[in-house]
Amino acid sequence: MNNRTIGVPASGLKTEVVPVRGRVVKSKWTRDLLTFLMVVGPGLIVMVADNDAGAVSTYTQAGAQYGTHLLWVLLLLLPVTYFIQEMVVRLGIATGKGHAAMIYQRFGKWWGLFSLIDLQLVNFLTLVTEFAAINLALSMMGVDPRIGVPLAAAGLMLLVLTGSYRRWERAVVLLCLLDLAWFVVAFWLRPPVGELVSRSLIPNMPAGGLTASLMFLVIAIVGTTIAPWQLFFQQSCIADKRLRFADVKWAQLDTFVGACITITAAGCMMIAGNASRLHGFTFTDPARMAADIGSFAGGFFRNAILLLMINAAVLGTTTISLSSAWAYGEVRGWPHSLQLPVRKAPGFYLVYLLCVALAAGLVLIPGAPLQLIILGVQVLAGVILPSAIIFLQLLLNDKELLGEYANKPWNNYVNWTIIIVLFALSLILAAQVAAPNLFPAG
Amino acid sequence: MATMIDTLNTKDFQNHFVVVHPLDDVPEQKVDTGALGAIPMTWTVRISLMSLRAYLVLMMLLVFYRVVTLAGWFGHHG
Repeated sequence: MNNRTIGVPASGLKTEVVPVRGRVVKSKWTRDLLTFLMVVGPGLIVMVADNDAGAVSTYTQAGAQYGTHLLWVLLLLLPVTYFIQEMVVRLGIATGKGHAAMIYQRFGKWWGLFSLIDLQLVNFLTLVTEFAAINLALSMMGVDPRIGVPLAAAGLMLLVLTGSYRRWERAVVLLCLLDLAWFVVAFWLRPPVGELVSRSLIPNMPAGGLTASLMFLVIAIVGTTIAPWQLFFQQSCIADKRLRFADVKWAQLDTFVGACITITAAGCMMIAGNASRLHGFTFTDPARMAADIGSFAGGFFRNAILLLMINAAVLGTTTISLSSAWAYGEVRGWPHSLQLPVRKAPGFYLVYLLCVALAAGLVLIPGAPLQLIILGVQVLAGVILPSAIIFLQLLLNDKELLGEYANKPWNNYVNWTIIIVLFALSLILAAQVAAPNLFPAG
Repeated sequence: MATMIDTLNTKDFQNHFVVVHPLDDVPEQKVDTGALGAIPMTWTVRISLMSLRAYLVLMMLLVFYRVVTLAGWFGHHG
């Protein structure tokens, strides 16, 4: 690339002149590519981190129970997850503030506190499940979790303590790229390509029809693919990275690329689950599944899947903890940026460190009610998701706030449809709780 | 495009583009959210918030019902 670094004095500032460091390029194509590479991050990270430990468990279970029958659900979720996160991009760039701050300012203290407490609670419980997955995978690899879990927690803390957003982003993007190894795993398991294509494109039901367990699993897949913390995380991340109005289209592309990667990786996880099913194994958890796959595909695949499970949990932990720390910092008015050193944003870093340390500590307590926590995550996430999306949709129609970046009519048709479907799924889940015999057992 | 100073005025840099990382760029003027106050209570906002309240009340009742059922207060375990 024929470019070089120059320093240009910024114009338009009344009080001080800030030097702007840029790279000189000759062609528009290079300019666009370089701009995209500079903007890429928040969208890719939020999407890939969405395939966290809970998601690995849900997708592999779907594959192990129903084979490739639910691939079409994933494909359907690709535009859904993109359209929701794309709204966050516009809101974050236009306001330069996080989602929690916006709810507080535009909907008042009550709704602000409700959103914040709900987010912190569901985030913390999700973090416990991330460390539970690290614990499980390490045990399966023969590593003592009493050493491995604190080491993982320490690494996750060090990741944010550098006082540089860029350093954190580069490290996390690298972890996101490691997630691409799911493609290699799926490829080597030799899935039937024709069947994958037809079951991705044509909605179909597994043998046995619509049963209670299938309904639960579909709702779990939807709930896993679209999570409340993602809205808070991406908007705060965009604000911290100081993305500009001109970056909107690149940030949208970043989000779309991330959505494609995360949905395809989720499909690969289903393929892995399906491979264990075809060899006659019964699914209990993803770590056990990795061992089962290792018995016929080799130890390399066993360890690769276990490491991918740990990678998913690490990605989930850093992003979810950051979404908590940013949200808390925004609402309390504390300095809250990865660009700041610890001494300048102690509250922000303390929230992050507490989230990681407490969740890791809880997992190491013998007899901790992990199953109850996992159930709690599902219930709370189900409750918070429709409410979080309602606020997002209302904010995106707030012309006072967003002007030309507000939703267009077609955005609203799409988004209200998504919201209605999410509410309907939540109500089905609720009805299932009230009347357990609503769907046939299966 | 604000991501870069499109073409510099100096002769040396004519027909060249400067790409600036967002964190190296001059902070951009954003919407002054502090001056806006609360969101206007339009029909859509009012209905949406009312639906949300109803949904949350329903969910809380369901959780309460589930807890009560599991505790066996209705004489059986759910």
